[in-house]
Amino acid sequence: MISLSASNSLNSTHAKHGLAVSVQNVGLTYTTSIDKRPTLKARLKSIGRGKKHTRVVQALNEVNLDVHYGTVLGVIGSNGAGKSSLMRVISGIVPPSKGRIEVHGSVSTLLALGVGFNPSMTGRANVYLGGLAAGMSRAEIDSQFAAIVDFSELGDAIDAPMRTYSSGMYARLAFSVAATVQPDILIVDEALSTGDAHFKEKSLNRIKELRSADRALILVSHAMATIEDVCNEVAWLHKGKIMARGNPAEVIKQYQEFTKAGKSAAANEDV
Amino acid sequence: MSAPVAIYEPFRAGLPPLGAYLRALWSRRSFIAEFSRSELREQNYGSVFGQLWLILNPLLLSGVYFLLIYIIGGHNDSTRYGHLTASLFLFYLVSNSLSGGVKSITAGQRLILNTAFPRIMLPISALVIALFKFVPTLAVFLVMRSLLGLPFSWQMFWAIPVIAIALLMGLGMAILISCINVYFRDIASFLPYLTRSLLYLSPILYQAADLSPKLKSIEIANPIFYLLDAWSQVMVYAKAPDLFSLAHGFIWAICIFLIGTYFFLSRERDFAVRL
Repeated sequence: MISLSASNSLNSTHAKHGLAVSVQNVGLTYTTSIDKRPTLKARLKSIGRGKKHTRVVQALNEVNLDVHYGTVLGVIGSNGAGKSSLMRVISGIVPPSKGRIEVHGSVSTLLALGVGFNPSMTGRANVYLGGLAAGMSRAEIDSQFAAIVDFSELGDAIDAPMRTYSSGMYARLAFSVAATVQPDILIVDEALSTGDAHFKEKSLNRIKELRSADRALILVSHAMATIEDVCNEVAWLHKGKIMARGNPAEVIKQYQEFTKAGKSAAANEDV
Repeated sequence: MSAPVAIYEPFRAGLPPLGAYLRALWSRRSFIAEFSRSELREQNYGSVFGQLWLILNPLLLSGVYFLLIYIIGGHNDSTRYGHLTASLFLFYLVSNSLSGGVKSITAGQRLILNTAFPRIMLPISALVIALFKFVPTLAVFLVMRSLLGLPFSWQMFWAIPVIAIALLMGLGMAILISCINVYFRDIASFLPYLTRSLLYLSPILYQAADLSPKLKSIEIANPIFYLLDAWSQVMVYAKAPDLFSLAHGFIWAICIFLIGTYFFLSRERDFAVRL
């Protein structure tokens, strides 16, 4: 099921159904602190007690994944399976510890936290800052800004500080930014489950609109119905490895059988 | 339709490819400008009174410190007041980059977790903000020194290299401390004590020449001591600075900058998993 393309060349144009993302033998191991807020004080207090302050996380292991243009790939798996890590590696936020990733095209990400850099700044300032940080030019953001605000249905609230936003408003703005900028590759990580029913449907429709032969979409979600509805391919991750990949209905069935059988994986999906 | 190709490969303890990093940084320079502007606006410097405060605040501070040295030491001449004000303003350039830089990475958490960009943009923005706060105080000082009747001369152009060194120092400190704060979050709480000590150990409330030779040789360990002395020579006395002072400041600045940048760049990949 998993194909590793060795033959792809680094040309700078992408053909329809050409390679969008190539993940080759990628492993990701990282060290993180155990404390939520590591301090020097805690470190000094525990000198000589042999207390561990960091732990090593093996998030991804030998992952091979090719995503072609025209594909809508759903990524499923239990919590902690490495889905978000894989999305971060593909979008270049965390470099891999092993292997290689090639991304042929512009990427727009909507990862778990979404837009919103500084809550005391306005929604407008945050959209601009997020866009500029992602490498867009001011003119590009200017030209899309009205469409972003329009899609988000935030109205005048766009000029209010983001700390005054509800979590639903946050999610609306985040989705609007990611879905309006017309990227070649759109990565959405568990962001469709927030917001009210109306906006959920609206964003799902938007995702469907974005499906086209010259675009690749990667969706991470626990909502199996959505995944089956939208995607034309599904990859199932478990403990940092790809367990299966292919036809949505089949892979989802395998996954659901596995979660019922496996003791470790609790049924934590809102299917 | 052309599509850029991005390749992500491992880098561990070493540095990321510097050429590509610098190009990515340069292409996002408008972020730094926009971020600094929004941040200043958010701190109310967008309004008339906010901008007035930008000038009033350092003036009030210098007034308070002048009162202090007048009571303690009995110095009340205009040169002394000029020295105090000029030194305090440059000191605030460095200390504002430190206090702005310390939380620049931890406060940028959401952006770091969601977007790939050169993280060093955040502490650089902290320096730019400190510079924006410094410029009006420089103008205030130039007006003030004419009122105080301090001499003018061409030697005052030495202010340019002194400011350049101070900026490099501020940048290096912002980069270093922002990175340390990711690993030890309580550094931000220690910082006020650090800057306060730096204030008293530097020739601001007193003049470098007042110190005994022994103390002056110990002050070699203070990165900004001789730089502030050079600044005072240039801005208050309109004299060329001691070359030793400039060299001392520059060597400290470049060392802090290089160590800070190396530390930052080699740790940068960690930030997204440490926040």
